[in-house]
Amino acid sequence: MLLFCEQLLNGLQLGVTLFLMSAGLTLVFGIMQVINLAHGSFYMIGAYVGATVALHSGSFLLAIFAALGASWLAGCLAEALILRHLYRRRHLDQVLATFGVILFCNEMTRIIWGRQPLFMDIPAALSGSVQILPGLPYPIYRLAVLAVGLAVAVLLWLIFTRTRIGMQVRAGAVNREMVAALGVNITLLYTLVFGCGAMLAGLAGLMAGPILAVEPGMGESILILTFVVIVIGGIGSVRGAFIGAVLVGLVDTLGRAFLPLLLRLLLSPATADSVAASLASMAIYIFMALVLVIKPKGLFPAHH
Amino acid sequence: MAEALLDVTGLNKSFGALLATNDLSLSVRQGEVHALIGPNGAGKTTLVNQLSGDLIADSGRVVFRGQDITRLPAHHRARLGIARSFQITHIFENLTVAENLGLALLAGHGGNFHFFRHWRRAPRLTERLEEALTRFDLLQHRDQPAASLSHGEKRQLEVGMALVVDPQLLILDEPMAGLGPGGTVELTRIIRRLKGQLTILLVEHDMDVVFSLADRITVLVYGHDIATGTPAEIRGNALVRQAYLGEEG
Amino acid sequence: MTRKQLFLLLAAVLLSLLPAAAHLFGNPYLLSLASRILIYGLAAASLDLLLGYGAMISLGHAAYVGIGAYAAGILHLHLGAPGLAPALALVADSEVSGLVILPLAVLAASLAALVIGALCLRTTGMHFIMITLAFAQMLYYFFISLEAYGGDDGLSLLGRSKLPLVNLDNDTHFYYFCLFCLIAFLLLASRLVHSRFGLILRGTGDNERRARGLGVNTGRYRLALFTIAGGSAGLAGALLANHSEFVSPGLLNWTLSGELMVMVLLGGIGTLFGPVFGAAVYLLLEEGLNMYTEHWMAYMGPLLVLAVLFARNGLLPLLISGRKRHG
Repeated sequence: MLLFCEQLLNGLQLGVTLFLMSAGLTLVFGIMQVINLAHGSFYMIGAYVGATVALHSGSFLLAIFAALGASWLAGCLAEALILRHLYRRRHLDQVLATFGVILFCNEMTRIIWGRQPLFMDIPAALSGSVQILPGLPYPIYRLAVLAVGLAVAVLLWLIFTRTRIGMQVRAGAVNREMVAALGVNITLLYTLVFGCGAMLAGLAGLMAGPILAVEPGMGESILILTFVVIVIGGIGSVRGAFIGAVLVGLVDTLGRAFLPLLLRLLLSPATADSVAASLASMAIYIFMALVLVIKPKGLFPAHH
Repeated sequence: MAEALLDVTGLNKSFGALLATNDLSLSVRQGEVHALIGPNGAGKTTLVNQLSGDLIADSGRVVFRGQDITRLPAHHRARLGIARSFQITHIFENLTVAENLGLALLAGHGGNFHFFRHWRRAPRLTERLEEALTRFDLLQHRDQPAASLSHGEKRQLEVGMALVVDPQLLILDEPMAGLGPGGTVELTRIIRRLKGQLTILLVEHDMDVVFSLADRITVLVYGHDIATGTPAEIRGNALVRQAYLGEEG
Repeated sequence: MTRKQLFLLLAAVLLSLLPAAAHLFGNPYLLSLASRILIYGLAAASLDLLLGYGAMISLGHAAYVGIGAYAAGILHLHLGAPGLAPALALVADSEVSGLVILPLAVLAASLAALVIGALCLRTTGMHFIMITLAFAQMLYYFFISLEAYGGDDGLSLLGRSKLPLVNLDNDTHFYYFCLFCLIAFLLLASRLVHSRFGLILRGTGDNERRARGLGVNTGRYRLALFTIAGGSAGLAGALLANHSEFVSPGLLNWTLSGELMVMVLLGGIGTLFGPVFGAAVYLLLEEGLNMYTEHWMAYMGPLLVLAVLFARNGLLPLLISGRKRHG
């Protein structure tokens, strides 16, 4: 039971990280109708810049600002230099150009930071564990990640329901022509959404830094998970992204933790472990396939 | 009374809060030209999409030749004999004119899983293709990509693609849109020639065209059919004048 | 048209003389590289069927290359093992193992494409791109966790498949066999795109809604094409496994899918022959840049972006039509 609670929290924590990744990306897909593979690169940039600044200045707070600023800047640059010219082009061109961006970003990190992974320390204020249940200590840092992710979710929800700009963005994800008809400065809105999406990805990368290894190509494994989240949640829907992210986080984490135990009831331990390892690594994709069969456009499609 | 080819009863379709089709009923008789008119946003194209199968109605019934087709996918309806042209020209831009017509001729049959023989050598295709190219005045453009045709020629090709398969019901969604006066006259002539050969449901803004071609007219307002009748009856209908024709004049 | 035929003839002559040239220069590595180009060309051309003719943007084509490769690798392993079913042992002993291995590899990749395609084709557009990528990634993780066949470390084949008439262990023979497979595929595929099936597919790719309006059950045609393309990629995978006598999960990684797409773009989408040229350009560029810098991707990335933004139709059409940008 304690193990279950711990894994549940781990799953939620992966879920909020995925939410930070997918919230921005799903809006970019929905509003600009552009497929952007380079979103993982913003995650990587956030992680690298954050880790470097934290290492040299010793201040995690400074690292946060640096990571957010760098990923925001990278996002705005990518939008203005490359993606803006691709909005009216076919998806294939968008895929290829952003693939080029990924190759470039990964290689540049190798040139600047080398091939070895970078390790980032947990900030002193957030190190250690806390007893969340009797007999269940849980790292404070992971709780903080969870809290930040949930806070961002609430913040986004407030922006989208309470502010004018938020409603314009949401309307844009449902109906692009409508936003133009409302007299919104589309170019600015696009850059803003893109930059903020990149910043959220950078935040996710920064927070993952102390938990995972910071290495070239780290953006792609999370990007593909993000795609799974968006497919499940539905393109253009932030609510879908949240629910999809939490579901994927839970299925992945709980699958890895409990499939071996479950299968051991049926099979010999060695077989069970190898089968479970295969199944667990495929669990979210199987889950995605199930959602697809039932709702091809995802759970909360923004477009009709 | 002539037999109804297409019978629509109590059709509803909504997009979120917007009721695009509202308890709509419509009956198209065998052999007539039935026009569908209504102000912008009356839900004409939404209705056409529900008839062709591009949209599925929320509730209500669509019966074609006695068969309930309300939930049938688009390609099934096409094979039953419903052909449509689109408001915005829908042709295969990257294919040649001959390929466009050839595809239209072949598409109606299921058995196109022939992988190696050139499509032009499909059985009984050559004569029908030549005939179609001649009939729609496209012979000299046959090996040109459709994208390179003029706007009027594209329309001609599109109507041709809808007609080569000898459909039972032809749905023309604003065929005159974007055509110059010359093109309109030409297309009106083509449609008049078709009259009697097949049943036509004509969605059109150009009132001159509608009143000169249609046997009967149905008026849509806010997704509901407010009146159906001969052109003379529609002209005389007070409700229609108020809701629609009044706006025009 | 004649210009294109001339180009193809020239390419065919050059390709058939290449082993002699490699022998002359005493550079066997050249032959190995050329075989690799032919195999990647086959994989890229099979992807072009999807991209250029079916308008299906699959970002997971590497999965079928990988499945073909693993099928070849696993079968190779078992055909050499003792205690085999008698029927199979007969095949393994009779020195024609390739006659079993290659078709089964194609079949395995086709089946995978059929199942995955059936799921992916429930969607279109951006969904389709993401889902093809996701399923390819799933298979990537599957083979990583497949400890019985090497897991992360991959699988060594210890020798190539046996075929009658040709000796694949001989690099020159192997090169000609790859050339034969590629040319056979290209000939069949160019027949395919002009067949009834091909016509309907090209129309569906161009304007799916119109095709449905004409009575085409577009999903069935797309799935058939997806399966054919997957099977062809499987053949490329089986050849690749034989070429390097090694199979690893890296083959299924999404970067290979991306690279295949780049090859198609470089050579010209919807030209079938172009992607082979694109594969040559890409792999030679890789080799060439690699001599000067280990960070060749840092150049390849921006080059790719520029190619997308400015050379929309690829390189081969540019060369063949002889059109100059500033002329």
